[in-house]
Formats: sequence, C-alpha cells, structure tokens
Amino acid sequence: MIEIQTLDEAAEAICDAQQKKHRLEVRGLGSKRALGRQPDFDDCLDVSSMQGIVDYQPEELVLTLRAGTPLDVIQAELDKANQMLAFEPADLKGILGSASAGTIGGVLATNLSGPRRLTAGAARDFLLGFDAVSGRGERFKSGGRVMKNVTGYDLSKLICGSYGTLAVVDEVTVKTLPRPETSLSLLFACDDMVSAVAKIAAIFASPHEPGAAAILPQFLAKRANIDTTAAFLVVIRLEGIDLSVKDRAAHLCKIGGHVDSLPQNPSAALWAQIRDVDLLRDAAGDIWKLSCAPSAAPAIIAAIAPHFDMSFYADWAGGLLWLAAPSGAAFGAALRDQVAAHGGGYAQLIRDAANSKAVLSPFQPLPPAQASLTKRVKSAFDPLGVLNFSRMHDGI
Amino acid sequence: MQMPEPDQKIIARRGAICAALRAVLPATSVIESDEGRRAYDADGLSAYRQLPLAVVLPETVEQIAAIMKYCHQEGIKVVPRGSGTSLSGGALPLADAVLLGLGKFNRILEIDYANRSVVAQPGVTNLAITHAVQADGFYYAPDPSSQIACSVGGNVAENSGGVHCLKYGLTTNNLLGIELVTIEGEILRLGGKHLDAGDYDLMGVMTGSEGLLGVVSEVTLRILQKPATQRAVLVGFDDTTAAATAVGDVIGAGIIPAGMEMMDGLAINAAEDFVHAGYPRDAAALIIVELDGPAVEVDALIDRVAKIMEKAGASSLKVSTSEEERNLFWAGRKSAFPAVGRISPDYLCMDGTIPRRRLPDMMVLMSSLSQKYGLRVANVFHAGDGNLHPLILFDANQPGELQRAEDFGADILRGCVDMGGVLTGEHGVGVEKRDLMGIQFTEDDLKQQQRLKCAFDADHLLNPGKVFPHLHRCAELGRLHVHKGKMPFPDLPRF
Repeated sequence: MIEIQTLDEAAEAICDAQQKKHRLEVRGLGSKRALGRQPDFDDCLDVSSMQGIVDYQPEELVLTLRAGTPLDVIQAELDKANQMLAFEPADLKGILGSASAGTIGGVLATNLSGPRRLTAGAARDFLLGFDAVSGRGERFKSGGRVMKNVTGYDLSKLICGSYGTLAVVDEVTVKTLPRPETSLSLLFACDDMVSAVAKIAAIFASPHEPGAAAILPQFLAKRANIDTTAAFLVVIRLEGIDLSVKDRAAHLCKIGGHVDSLPQNPSAALWAQIRDVDLLRDAAGDIWKLSCAPSAAPAIIAAIAPHFDMSFYADWAGGLLWLAAPSGAAFGAALRDQVAAHGGGYAQLIRDAANSKAVLSPFQPLPPAQASLTKRVKSAFDPLGVLNFSRMHDGI
Repeated sequence: MQMPEPDQKIIARRGAICAALRAVLPATSVIESDEGRRAYDADGLSAYRQLPLAVVLPETVEQIAAIMKYCHQEGIKVVPRGSGTSLSGGALPLADAVLLGLGKFNRILEIDYANRSVVAQPGVTNLAITHAVQADGFYYAPDPSSQIACSVGGNVAENSGGVHCLKYGLTTNNLLGIELVTIEGEILRLGGKHLDAGDYDLMGVMTGSEGLLGVVSEVTLRILQKPATQRAVLVGFDDTTAAATAVGDVIGAGIIPAGMEMMDGLAINAAEDFVHAGYPRDAAALIIVELDGPAVEVDALIDRVAKIMEKAGASSLKVSTSEEERNLFWAGRKSAFPAVGRISPDYLCMDGTIPRRRLPDMMVLMSSLSQKYGLRVANVFHAGDGNLHPLILFDANQPGELQRAEDFGADILRGCVDMGGVLTGEHGVGVEKRDLMGIQFTEDDLKQQQRLKCAFDADHLLNPGKVFPHLHRCAELGRLHVHKGKMPFPDLPRF
C-alpha cells in the first residue's frame, strides 16, 4: 500500500511502478471496489488522504475540492449554502456491502448518477476541470473553475467513467446548483410496463416539468411501504418552489391513473431507496444495471422475464433498469442480446454474488473499432498499463 | 497567423487527387475550380482567407468514409466544415487540405417523442431542430446566436452554447449520440437514445474537439418540452459593480434564470439606436433576466428577482407584460453585434470566461486597455455564467488598427486567465486563440491533449494548425521521459 498526499507523490509512485513493471490499483475509500473486473495488482495507491474543500463559491455555482473528499463531507458543506450535486450520486454501500458512500473521485470515476440524471445530467455533466497525474507519471490539468469553457479537449468527460484507468486525479471543480425548496411525488397506477412507459412519456410531453420518473412493480412498491393494488406504479417527482410544485401537481393529477401523492419527507425517502438500489438489496443473486432507450424497456423486460427468476424496477423514465437475477453467465448475456436487439445501450454487472465475472465481463464488450480506439486512448494516458489495468476491459 | 507550411507535393497533385475523389463521389460533389472553391475560403472569422486544395460535398456516410480512407492512405489533410459560421476559424481551409463540407447532410432522420429525441444529419441547422418539433410543444435547448445558419454538426464540434445555457446546458449536455467517421474511414456509433454508455466517454471528448478528432456524420439530440411561460425583466444600473453583485445575488438566492445577460453603456446605446427596445440610455449596465416555467412560478420568481435588483441599487426596472414586450427586451441584446457594426467600420468579437465576481475588475481592466490601445470596446456578457463578449471597435483601413485590436483582445483574454477564467467560453480556440493556449495551459497540459489527438489521428491529418500552437509528432509525444536516469521498459516497443 502506497499512501500518497500529493500529485507529486503520485507521480513518484507511478514512475517507480514503471521501473518495477508493477500494476497499481488506485483506491480511495474502496466503496466501489466490487465494480468492474478484479485483476491481480502488484500494489495499491491509496489516494484517500487527498481530501478537503479547496474553494467553494456558492454564488458562482462552483466547488473545488480534492478527489478523496468523502461524499458526506461534501454534503455537509453544500447544506450550508442550500446547494446540491444535482446529478444525485447514488450510495451503493447497501448492495455492495461497503463501509461508506465513498469519495467524489470515486463517484466521478464511475460516472455514478441518480434519478435526477434524467433531467439534470450525469456526473460527467458536472465536472468542470481537474488536476491529475497520468499513467505516464506526468502532471496535467484540463478544464477550469468556471462554468463555461471550451478551451481545448474536454478531458473532464473522458476522466468521468474511466474507472481510474487513465490518471490519478487530485483537485476537481464541480458545478453545484441550488437545492429545490420543496418536492413531492405523484403515484400513478398502470397495468403493465408498456402503459407505464407511455404514461411517463405523456407526462414529459406536458409543460409541467417532471424532474424524475421511476416505475415500481407492486411487490417493490410494497417493500417501500406503499400499499397498492396496481401491477405497476409510476412515481413522478416534482421539485421547485412550493407554489409551482403544487400547481404542477394539480395539473398532473388530472391525468388518468393518479392514485396517491407523497409529501416531501416520504417522497425523499422513496427516492433515496430508488437511487441507492435499496429496493433490491435483499434480492438473491446478482444485480445488473441496464441503460436503454426508455421506450425499449418494456420489450427488453418482456423478452427476459419469462426465462429467469428475476426482479427489477426502472428509473430514468424507463431508461435505467435495475435487475436482480441468479448468478451465472446466462442472465447478463440475455440482457446484452436484448439491448442490442432494441436500439442499443449497455448492461453492467454491479453486484456479483457468486463470481459471475469469471464467466462474463462485468462491462459490456465494445465493438471492435471502438475497442481499438479505446485502447489507443488508454495508451495516450497510460502506455505501460500502470493504473487500474484491465479494471474495465481486458487490456484497458 | 502562421499556418503549417503547405505541402507543395500535395498541391502539385491537385488534379490527380480530385480525379481520385471523383472515383468515390458523384462528379458534382468534387469542386476543383477556383471560383467554386472561393465560396469556401473563410468561415465566420473572415479576417483569414485561404483557398482549399479542393472541396468535397459527400452525400452519404459511406462517401465520407471513402474520402477519409483515401486521404489517410495518401497523407492528405482534411478540414471538416458545417455551415462555416465558426467565429474562431475552426473551418478555415488549408492550401494543402481537402475541405469536407457537410452541407448535403441536411435531413432530419427521426423525431422520437417517446424518447424525447431527434436524430439528424450534421448539416441540419440548429434552429431547424426546434422548428421540426415545436408544433408538438418541444424544442432543442442550445441556441447559439447563429442558430438560423449554424449546423448541429458544427455545434458538436464547437460545443456551442447560447443565452439559455445557464439553465439548460451546452451542446455536450444535450447530445445523446453521434455517428463518427475516423480519419481511417471507420464508422463508429457512440451513445444513442440511452443516457449512459458505460465506457470511455468518447462522445464527450468529441464534443468541442473542433474537427480535430473525427467527422460527425449523425447526431441524436435531446429535446425538451417548451416551458409554459417566459417573462423577462429589464434592469438598469448606474454602476457596473452593483450590477455584477446583483447577478450573484440572484443565483445566491437559489434562482437559476433561463438567461441572464448584461450589456455596458456603449452596447446599450448602440442597440437602442438600432432597434429602439426602450433601454435606459444613461445606465452604466443593463441586465436582462429571463425566467421560464409554470406561470405561477415565473410570476413569483420575477417578484423575487425584482426585489433583489432593487436592493442591489437598480436605477430602472421593467417587467415584460406581454410576449411582444419580452421579445423587444431581447431584440436589443440579440442585435448587439450588428448594432455595434453600425457605429464602427469593423469590430472584433472576443470570447472569454471569468468567475463572475471578477466582473468589476474586468471592467476596470478593459477601460485601461481601451485607453492604452486607443480603441473603444463595447461589452455584451452572458452574466449568469461569466462568459464575456467584448466587441473591440476598429477600422481595418487604418494601418495598424487590426493588429492593435488583436493585441487588445489578447490582453483581455490574458486578463481572463489571470482572474481564474479561461480563453474561450463558447467560440472555440480555432486559429484565433491558438497562440494564446500557452497562457492557460502548460506545455505538459497541451502535450497530454495532443496525445489524445494521436489516439484518433496519429498523422495529424484532421484540421491541423487549429487549437494547438505547436504540432508535436506522435512518436515524440509517445516517448516516456527518463526517470532517475532509467528508461522504463527500454525493451518495449513505443506506439
């Protein structure tokens, strides 16, 4: 274990690893170690000491902090100014069995976004700039500390979701937004997935500004303490100033199928369960995340459900499916076939209950042309494969 | 502006190259004549002109791939071009490069309300997307001033913004998928109608890459439901510092307006002379705040904004009471560039970003630079996100004035970086700001960016001479530095 405090120390450690032909695991609080492949590493670069708020200017909507800063520390700081990370990072400790929600660096490295991703954007949309050391052992920076910036390549996008395979990041600047003054949820009853997705599409074709949209099958709704007779519940979250939320709710309630509303606190509790995948925590087997076109979700579910003992729910208007199913290669392979047959998307293994990774890749395999470009991009930052080598894909 | 030395051997082969391109394209898609090429000799940065080697106007993605494959094999440079509205010279031709125009890719391929997306070819104009969906209550949010002409493919290349990006984001935040042709002629599809892709965000890095990494041959865009109501407030201030503070106060109060624009005295008067929008002529600064959403919300927030502005010392305040009045408030701002064009033979439009709180310092800097260079400057400003557009007034017929104006602009951009900001907020680097990149980035920063370029285009054939002040050979960039006297893995082949 190599503990580092600064990027200069990171550069030193990376150069030493190059000499020793070592491959390093880059680790913050380790809350997301279970994600991705687990190749053998020679050593571990512990970046969890690189923490702290560097600069926070609420009126500029920017927060600069060190990548190892824990999410709860960030939350406390943002609370003081009534602001938030609008992409609503998920806390997966419940399903991954980790000790904490992790760090901002981990959230960005996995591009982990919650329910508001549908309308506010993903983690990758909120990273404005960063300082880092590449796998070459060289310091570089990209982006800036201002909201609008098109100077040079947008490496912030590339760093987000790269699982630490390109660079060790220290200072990051993220965009913050004011927290909504209030929120509530509306519940609509639907007979099946097709009508649930259609209901959400109708709501999004109205000017009433829904902020998040999930679909819960009856037994998971009950698990969240919502008593319903409907096969599926559509949950719509409205946010904003009180007057506006009430007005929009009144309009949307007139759309058929409205059965109940949840005021702020129970609404927030339900969305936290949706965000953190708590609803599937007790399900047996693996947990998968599937991203698809919202309208494709019903057909994907219909094709798979008869063949597996599975449970699922949808977020992002149907565009994000969280699924639990028995371990093994068959389920993931079926998901990927269906995604390919329904306009594209991807399926990632999130909770690996019984070493399914031994028989199939946790990340969706890339088409050949994209795989070779991805390899060249990896080489551009980390030609010797020092950082988190093969964590995402074999050789990347 | 020094461009890479043209390769005379390529120029000498012009006839043969055009003949070879005609073999993979319809004959009318290859433009070889001087007068035909003349139409493409500049983009929106018209101070720079250059006839391209040849112009190709492909009609299918397979034709783009064939052009790229041929140029790659033959070592011929390629400059992609959408509508040619770049303000930074992103589509400036090179004497030894094929100009690849995407004007014939002008069809909207699919409107998908169920997934709130539009699939379009890259030559479709930005405004045409909104026009195609507005009857059903939808629109495409990024709205650069050139939206009537600029293409969505160009928007991806430049990561274009607009007056509403404070609330709705830039192109990168509204782009779901692209089809891309690499310099080798390979066709890749990145993203789609799904939100997350789970691999390196190559689409994200393509966005804003100014045509250096690949050619976008199709886009999938997110469309939004049009807000129920839009209203604007027009606020005058006697003091720029108070106006800048007021902008921060609005955001500090938790309000994110759809747009928040500022103009200085010179810009106010030029606009007022031009469109008679009812702007306060004696104000030092004018702020337009637009709020959108449900009527009850807009009304409530307008009240809050008005109170904040009054508290901050506004000298005048008008709230739009009709759609006509709202449009009139905007008319002055939207015509600021032509309005300034009426009071000066020429002007240079700059584009930089600063942390908003530094605006008063920037105004002081600009006024001292204005004295130093003996040139006037008018300011329009996307105040919400700190994006400045100083318009430097000059007369190109006066010897030395263009150079003075450019030096003035460079000093403003240096000031932006000194104050914690960046060289370009939304116009791109292109050739215009290429030689200033060293102000914001170290040599190591720029080398790392160019290594990414090498992953996409190892021979520097795509749009060379743009964005980066120095071109390093990819083999040189790939070399690892010697650490403590030892080369790591000396036996390994380098890419």
